[in-house]
Amino acid sequence: MKPYEWMTTYTPQEEWIEKKGIFMPLAFYFGSLGGGLYLVSLYFNSLLGMLVAWLIVGVLKGGSHLVDLGQPFRSWRMVLRPQSSWISRGLILVILFLSLVALQLLISSFFPGTTWEAIFKVLAVLAALGTCAYPGFTLNYVNAIPLWNSAMLPLLFMACGLLGGFAILQIIGVFGGNVDLIGVEFGSLVLLFVTAIFIITYTWSASYSGPYGKMALKELLKGKVSPAFWLGVVLLGIVMPFAIALLGYKGMQIPKMLLFVGALGEIICGLSLTYAVLKSGGYRPLVPLSSDEV
Amino acid sequence: MARWGMVINLNKCIGCYACMIACKQEHFLPPEIFWGRVLTGEAGKYPAIRKLIYPVLCNHCEEAACVDVCPTGATTKREDGIVIIDYDKCVGCRYCMMACPYQQRTFYTNGKKEYFPNQGLTELEIIGRQLYPFQEGTVVKCNFCLERIDEGVERGLKPGTDREATPACVIACPAKARYFGDLDDPTSEVSRLISEKKAFQLHPEFGTNPSVYYITR
Repeated sequence: MKPYEWMTTYTPQEEWIEKKGIFMPLAFYFGSLGGGLYLVSLYFNSLLGMLVAWLIVGVLKGGSHLVDLGQPFRSWRMVLRPQSSWISRGLILVILFLSLVALQLLISSFFPGTTWEAIFKVLAVLAALGTCAYPGFTLNYVNAIPLWNSAMLPLLFMACGLLGGFAILQIIGVFGGNVDLIGVEFGSLVLLFVTAIFIITYTWSASYSGPYGKMALKELLKGKVSPAFWLGVVLLGIVMPFAIALLGYKGMQIPKMLLFVGALGEIICGLSLTYAVLKSGGYRPLVPLSSDEV
Repeated sequence: MARWGMVINLNKCIGCYACMIACKQEHFLPPEIFWGRVLTGEAGKYPAIRKLIYPVLCNHCEEAACVDVCPTGATTKREDGIVIIDYDKCVGCRYCMMACPYQQRTFYTNGKKEYFPNQGLTELEIIGRQLYPFQEGTVVKCNFCLERIDEGVERGLKPGTDREATPACVIACPAKARYFGDLDDPTSEVSRLISEKKAFQLHPEFGTNPSVYYITR
């Protein structure tokens, strides 16, 4: 963007996508992925899956946020404003998730079947749901960016997190983990369908969010960000895994490598979608120019 | 308590950028940091084209989105309506930059950047960094020259009337296009201009109620 175009025409946000800001979509996606994987692992009773979810949130999400922050040593201050800031709420949810899942994993490993295990599982599920959805709420709160100001975003992020969770559990199963692969494949198929519906609804609703929402949507579907959307989200993330899962559901014997590739596509789907949504978010200009006639 | 605000007469503004330069001088702003800007553009279609000049700065909104989203409480609104940043509390998450519909915040990343590359900091830059110790990795923005206002009010001066208690961009404007004063005082010049000239705010639809108004007649 030329300096003279800044805020005199549709101005894409850069701080959460350019330079160090590239860690922001990573952090958001790892949060959704970790939360989703925990929920899926809990349903299929995979302790390994839960442990991987804990590591994704603690190491990958936490690390990405710390790299992104301008003053990481002050990050403890970010829990101070949960009454109004989604970043504060998110950090509190992540801390709760990490603490509760760690305790639940310890109890499940050493005292399985106790009431405490059930209690911590319920609490961890609530924290995982929050960890999964809060990036969507963080973006949804920003009404200055029409593409983000959509009630669909928390649902979309949650669906992508769960889809990624199914994918990682599938990978664990493919590499010999104790996982009900047929059940995971079926769940994955359902989630792919749900995610596709959510994406269609999100883009459709964005087309009604005013001229600058339409411009952002155009950027997402036809602009520089479109390869991430069409290649990463639609082709690798939805169509390919859907085809593979459908073949498996029809009773065909699918090579493990193909299952692995399909699962990888589902992970790429969420990551590409988070990147594409953040990259195409932009502001309405300050100067009422002829660009208002778009 | 006063609520400080500004009125900018777009008919008088000649787009000379004096306000931008005055602001940079006043706060010794490092390279690539602007607290005030002058946006220029064109409206209409050839041959009926108009040139538009919009000087912009932090709007010090009454319902500031940046204050709401700040997770640390680094961005706060004073009783007199000025939105300020405590650099010691800012973590540089930049959520405020996302939330500001006016994009009047800048992430300060490179404290070593000089005005004259590879020449070292000039004496003026060194003094500036002592007077205004911005911190790398924090967000910065216009503070309505609160140092001038606070000191002026303490001395019994009236911001908007007395030069020493008025923001630098207002004083520097050679076309006298900028007015500063108390929005809560119905007799102040800014209040009078807002009601008489039907002043408008930028993007009122966001519900932020900016303290910077524009007039076109």
